[in-house]
Amino acid sequence: MGSIGRASKALKSSKNIYLHYISSILSPLSPIHRPNPVHSFPDLHHFNWSYHAYCSHSRNHSSKDVAIDLSQYPTDRVRNFSIIAHVDHGKSTLADRLLELTGTIKRGHGQPQYLDKLQVERERGITVKAQTATMFYTRNFEGTDTNYLVNLIDTPGHVDFSYEVSRSLAACQGVLLVVDAAQGVQAQTVANFYLAFESNLTIIPVINKIDQPTADPDRVKKQLQSMFDLDPIDALMTSAKTGQGLDQVLPAVIERIPPPPGKNNLPLRMLLLDSYYDEYKGVICHVAVVDGALRKGDRISSAATGQSYDVLDVGIMHPELKPTGVLLTGQVGYVVSGMRSTKEARVGDTLQHYRSTVEPLPGFKPAKHMVFSGLYPADGSDFEALNHAIERLTCNDASVSIAKESSTALGLGFRCGFLGLLHMDVFHQRLEQEHGIHVISTVPTVPYMFEYSDGSKVQVQNPAALPSNPKSQLKASWEPTVMATIIIPSDYVGAVITLCSERRGEQLEYSYIDRYLASDLVKLDILLNGQPVDAMATIVHRLKAQRVGRELVEKLKKFIDRQMFEIIIQAAIGSKVIARETISAMRKNVLAKCYGGDVTRKRKLLEKQKEGKKRMKRVGSVDIPQEAFHELLKVS
Amino acid sequence: MLKATCTPILSTIPTRYKPLNLTTLPISNTLPQPPPPVRQNAAANPTPAPPTSAYIHLPFCRKRCHYCDFPIVALGTSSPPPDNDPRISDYISLLRREITATRLKTSHHPPLRTIFFGGGTPSLVPPSLVSTILDTLRSKFGVCLDAEISIEMDPGTFDGEKLRELIELGVNRVSLGVQAFQEQLLRACGRAHGLSEVYEAIEIVGSCGVENWSMDLISSLPHQTTEMWEESLRLTVEAQPTHVSVYDLQVEQGTKFSVLYTPGEFPLPSETDSAKFYRMASSMLSNAGYNHYEISSYSKNGFECEHNLTYWKNKPFYGFGLGSASYVRGLRYSRPRKLKEYTGYVQNLEDGAVDCSGDSCGDAKDAAMDVVMLSLRTARGLDLKSFREDFGGSLALSLCKVYKPYVESGHVVCLDGQRRNLMADEFSSLLSDDHKMEEVVAFIRLSDPDGFLLSNELISLAFAAIAP
Repeated sequence: MGSIGRASKALKSSKNIYLHYISSILSPLSPIHRPNPVHSFPDLHHFNWSYHAYCSHSRNHSSKDVAIDLSQYPTDRVRNFSIIAHVDHGKSTLADRLLELTGTIKRGHGQPQYLDKLQVERERGITVKAQTATMFYTRNFEGTDTNYLVNLIDTPGHVDFSYEVSRSLAACQGVLLVVDAAQGVQAQTVANFYLAFESNLTIIPVINKIDQPTADPDRVKKQLQSMFDLDPIDALMTSAKTGQGLDQVLPAVIERIPPPPGKNNLPLRMLLLDSYYDEYKGVICHVAVVDGALRKGDRISSAATGQSYDVLDVGIMHPELKPTGVLLTGQVGYVVSGMRSTKEARVGDTLQHYRSTVEPLPGFKPAKHMVFSGLYPADGSDFEALNHAIERLTCNDASVSIAKESSTALGLGFRCGFLGLLHMDVFHQRLEQEHGIHVISTVPTVPYMFEYSDGSKVQVQNPAALPSNPKSQLKASWEPTVMATIIIPSDYVGAVITLCSERRGEQLEYSYIDRYLASDLVKLDILLNGQPVDAMATIVHRLKAQRVGRELVEKLKKFIDRQMFEIIIQAAIGSKVIARETISAMRKNVLAKCYGGDVTRKRKLLEKQKEGKKRMKRVGSVDIPQEAFHELLKVS
Repeated sequence: MLKATCTPILSTIPTRYKPLNLTTLPISNTLPQPPPPVRQNAAANPTPAPPTSAYIHLPFCRKRCHYCDFPIVALGTSSPPPDNDPRISDYISLLRREITATRLKTSHHPPLRTIFFGGGTPSLVPPSLVSTILDTLRSKFGVCLDAEISIEMDPGTFDGEKLRELIELGVNRVSLGVQAFQEQLLRACGRAHGLSEVYEAIEIVGSCGVENWSMDLISSLPHQTTEMWEESLRLTVEAQPTHVSVYDLQVEQGTKFSVLYTPGEFPLPSETDSAKFYRMASSMLSNAGYNHYEISSYSKNGFECEHNLTYWKNKPFYGFGLGSASYVRGLRYSRPRKLKEYTGYVQNLEDGAVDCSGDSCGDAKDAAMDVVMLSLRTARGLDLKSFREDFGGSLALSLCKVYKPYVESGHVVCLDGQRRNLMADEFSSLLSDDHKMEEVVAFIRLSDPDGFLLSNELISLAFAAIAP
């Protein structure tokens, strides 16, 4: 272990590289960004959490259920906690077991399917949206039974979704920090630890999967102590698979995590954690009651918008929506209030009783979009369908920014801002899976700043918008930068430093300049037969322009078929061509065969050819297949 | 440019051949007919003329060639072609049943002007059986005395006697399936004959005095070199056929070649070489006095294959036999490719359960695409005047617009009413003046060989303009 350097690029987690973002510099909401817009996606498939969502949207309440009296649970009988972990360390399995232990869900009751909500979460085994579940737990302490209400707030693991994590943590007083007994501390263990640590939450280390043959809990204990200053004696040893040690978990939650600090006798203050749209009930808000109490029929208002609403339904997620008629101090649950759109439900907003005055809660920083990409319908005529799908999707994912834009090559589309590349990829996948929309996305880019000699300053989220030959001279350009702590075994130091310096990472000793760092950026245009293709423009560092230009041009040569005329593909900075390839003209495309009178067969062949052309995007006289756009994203 | 048009049968003076079966004029033609359906009387929708061309599929082969995906029946190479193989005679009677069962929707069917026996290897069928087919056609439709009657013949499947018998029956055009002049290439494509049979066949055709015959060649065969192709073309010219068909090998799914080879990859010639072969054929045959009148067809003046011209002119035609295609009253229909299904089809036809002739002219866009696709295969090209009349001036104009860059690049040629080429800039300036455009531009054709070589691409561009 040892070398500390700074890289401007978040590294993909792997077994031996620990990554730590220094959060004082880094917005906790967006710790990942891409300094170079043409990097490949990280290999997304290596994420392999098992998906877990606690709150399903089912409306099947069993009438046999006994009504729940929440007044039995004053704040000292309430615990709110979250489970945080690196990918695949067993977070969701542990959560499953806790829900089973408390009888919240039934064991082996087809649970994964029953709880799964988004196809993308199921397929990738990741949690994208935070979910909440309320459990009832009876603790026998020295012969006396005490009932507790325990809220488990699930969090996404990937840094792209740390926005969701910090949101969830705001409603917690403690976390279970789950670490795989064999793998030990990993990148997202560290990232999530710091999120919890900075929120002043009680941290209970849980060393999970101790049943594995390669488990080495002692090593993990040492890591926890050296890296996080966590006392090894406090660590719980569990195997969510075999059930070993699980009985220790909830007692530890109750003993070590403090009850919510709010006051019962103060006016209502509650934090809006999340919201989603239900076709039948309308907007459903997840809330944490910080002070006071909320009852069905109350009139509440939003601190942010001033709008007021009647509380039509209130309850807990157990794990489905379960009306209780009331939510008391420290409790976490849901509210249905007749909001028409999730846009009214501002996550992080403070909700209060109508006409009462309370100090608003700190809330959350708005999501900071670090990756921008253009989304266009694969078939130009599908714009309306795409528009509709994006509207529906952003109803439940307010973390994506959307603005209309148009491209000469691709027609009408949207410029979308994402928290990171995984976030972007998940959004694409949801568009396809949940709405059946096929999109072409342009090369993702981070927002750059350009300053011209006339004093004007532009932030560029779309490379095409940057003039190739600006009127005023470019004075300076900046790119967003992160400060990262990289912890790696010494064997890998050399390779990592190379990787960092390729991304123009600088050693920590160098002085640090705000969030934007001056950088020598250029716009790289791609020209087909002399005509620039706006959707293919990128912004790159001058030093990398040559290599990236070369690669883009080669890639295009591979994916554009021969056409009737020769095609010249060029990469250019302004008017200077830095890479060039030629696709020679098609030599022969003729059906010189004796089909006799079988006109139908000939016709079909030619119609197929015509349809093939239709699927392509035409720029000038060149037909570009959709795959070419997809492939450009893979150039690194 | 075409041979003399056919006049009504009774006024035709028999010229070359003794009129056979003149007494078997279709009796139905002389009988009073029931009144035609009302639709056919409607002046606004004149009944399309009945076909005067018939394609007859004779599917028998010794064995299947490695490139072939046609509906054929392989008889086996071991035994010599039997003159009374029941497989052949049974098929011929089935075929004749199909012809007989075809429903005619007109009282006065004009006699056939072209008949084409294709295969398969029609020359494997005994002339006596070919005769019965012709008899059936004569009694059903009537046949012009100077009708073009073609038959495909493969080297090694006929002798002088057989050919003379066919000529006696009225066959007056032979399409000789030589394919290549190299022993190794013939073997590589699984032909049932060798090079000596090729020369023998050419000799027989000449000695029997067949004036109108075609040499059929295939280019881009595996292992074919430029030298081999040049040799084949040279020997073809020396054999002095009146017609040459040059097919470019298509590797069709399900054939032996599709298992063995990938187009453009060794041992098949590269795309560049393949294009070169096409250009070589075009220049060598043109220099030898052949007109390149269709993408894969060359002929001496007046020896175009009239039957095939029916296809390119989008005229109706009958198709009889296994897998054959017909185009009757606006409807294109392909018969079953398997013998069992074909038998069932004939039965249904006799029972009146199927009718493969159409009743309407169908969608105008479909018709326009057919016209464009077929006419652009020919040197004559697309007749814009009749295209405008049939499909409207705006469609014709959008076609011209689509082709503007290709006129400039020389892939497409525009001609005026006197078939004079228009210069690219002249054409461009006409594009802005619809009226003058209609006045001046009479034909669009693909250039030879550049436009022909990219005909699929160019025709699919036209499709996109017609049906975006």
